[in-house]
Amino acid sequence: MPALVLGIWLQGFGTANADGLAPLTGQPGDPSRGEALLLDMQRVSCLICHRISSLDERDQGQIGPALDGVASRLDNMELRQRIVDARVFNPDTIMPPYYSVTGLVDVADLYRGRTIYDAQEVEDVVAYLLTLTEEANR
Amino acid sequence: MRRRCLPALLALAFCQPVVAEELRSGYTYMEPATQAMQDDDFLNPGFFLVDEGLRLWRQPMGPAGQSCADCHGPVEREMKGVAARYPVLDAETGKLVNLERKIQLETARMGAEPLAYESPQVLSLTTLISYQSRDMPMQPEITPQLQPFLERGRKIYEQRRGQLNLSCPQCHVDHAGDKLRGDVISQGQVNAFPIYRLLWGEPGSRHRMFEWCMQSIRARPFERGSDEFIELELYLVQRGAGLVIEAPGVRR
Amino acid sequence: MAKGVKPRVKLPKTAAVGDTITIRTLINHKMESGQRKDSDGNIVPRSIVNRFTAEFNGQSVIDVQMEPAISSNPYFQFEAKVPESGEFVFTWHDDDGDVYVLSKRIEIS
Repeated sequence: MPALVLGIWLQGFGTANADGLAPLTGQPGDPSRGEALLLDMQRVSCLICHRISSLDERDQGQIGPALDGVASRLDNMELRQRIVDARVFNPDTIMPPYYSVTGLVDVADLYRGRTIYDAQEVEDVVAYLLTLTEEANR
Repeated sequence: MRRRCLPALLALAFCQPVVAEELRSGYTYMEPATQAMQDDDFLNPGFFLVDEGLRLWRQPMGPAGQSCADCHGPVEREMKGVAARYPVLDAETGKLVNLERKIQLETARMGAEPLAYESPQVLSLTTLISYQSRDMPMQPEITPQLQPFLERGRKIYEQRRGQLNLSCPQCHVDHAGDKLRGDVISQGQVNAFPIYRLLWGEPGSRHRMFEWCMQSIRARPFERGSDEFIELELYLVQRGAGLVIEAPGVRR
Repeated sequence: MAKGVKPRVKLPKTAAVGDTITIRTLINHKMESGQRKDSDGNIVPRSIVNRFTAEFNGQSVIDVQMEPAISSNPYFQFEAKVPESGEFVFTWHDDDGDVYVLSKRIEIS
């Protein structure tokens, strides 16, 4: 597994710069799969903490900012970096790292050494979030 | 002049009210139907435990055939206020104990069958004893000897942990009152335990709730009854000092 | 017997002739619907209280059949007009065959 990650790295995937992160895989994200992931109650959905008005989902969180129109504020690299590990921007962020195990403490056995999403899932969610160009109608 | 000022200034510094969070019982975050269930002693399922606890209080245990009541006397009189000041240092073992641990230790001393931490017996007796402090403010006595325990409890409270990398205050201080999915996050106060939790469909201890929280953030929980959880409990009791005991509480 | 199941009933000890009294009953029971799965994906077997009855001096006051969707600790509150002094007998029937019975006297003046 480390060899695989390294291989991806050498091909230039997941390269970070000051503002964001290049795609983690060679396969473009699928927005519909990303949306399905968000609506899956069994996964650590963005909706636990964020609101997306265009989704027909009653119980949406208020912990983080609403994601309506997020694609007009952040580009794909910035979005990806926030999902992968938002601590890069703010070490004290409440946002969990979806694709990093760095610095995690006392992780339950079932999840130890594993990330919340895999690389392709990050890409799918980024692809979905990039469709959110419209601010909510208030 | 300078000499006299310094102590005065120090005193002033200590007298400044710390900008404290306004304490709010979890009760205030509940829906009216849940509040009503707690308020009605008939409907409140916690009173099944109060009744069972009273039966156990009077039941002889161990070879000497003694009951709790034989030594302590009536629970209403002798246990009043006890839950409000726990956890405390156990004189014999030098360890920090909460009510559940104390009940385990005492029944073991009587030679009774060992009781598991979350057994119906321990939970019932804890509920009975906590109920004797209902409407009294939680008021732990933080002696110098308790400071190191309190400090360890604070560290556990503030430690980010689990796959979701969250500490208790990140939700229960910074976002108390905000919605997480469909639920409102409370301050995570412990003044109503043992609670009947609708989600569980049964009663549970403070430590069961800690465990549930830690599992929710995909962390490896400490064991119920562990030193770490009792230290965390002490910290939370101190943090919520002044809130009145609501046991037996009802929560979502 | 399902462990620790205990009923609770509240009604006045005395009443006047013609008074309508309120009776409250509660039983602590998990009311497992038989439709839930455990963490291994196996169905948790149904275990509910399926019938509740109240009689007064041998006469039926209420007879309720319960279904699996009823929440835990089923609670019934109802009113009754009591013609004479006597005894209420409340009975809960468990799926596992257990029967829980509680009786309460009331004096009519």
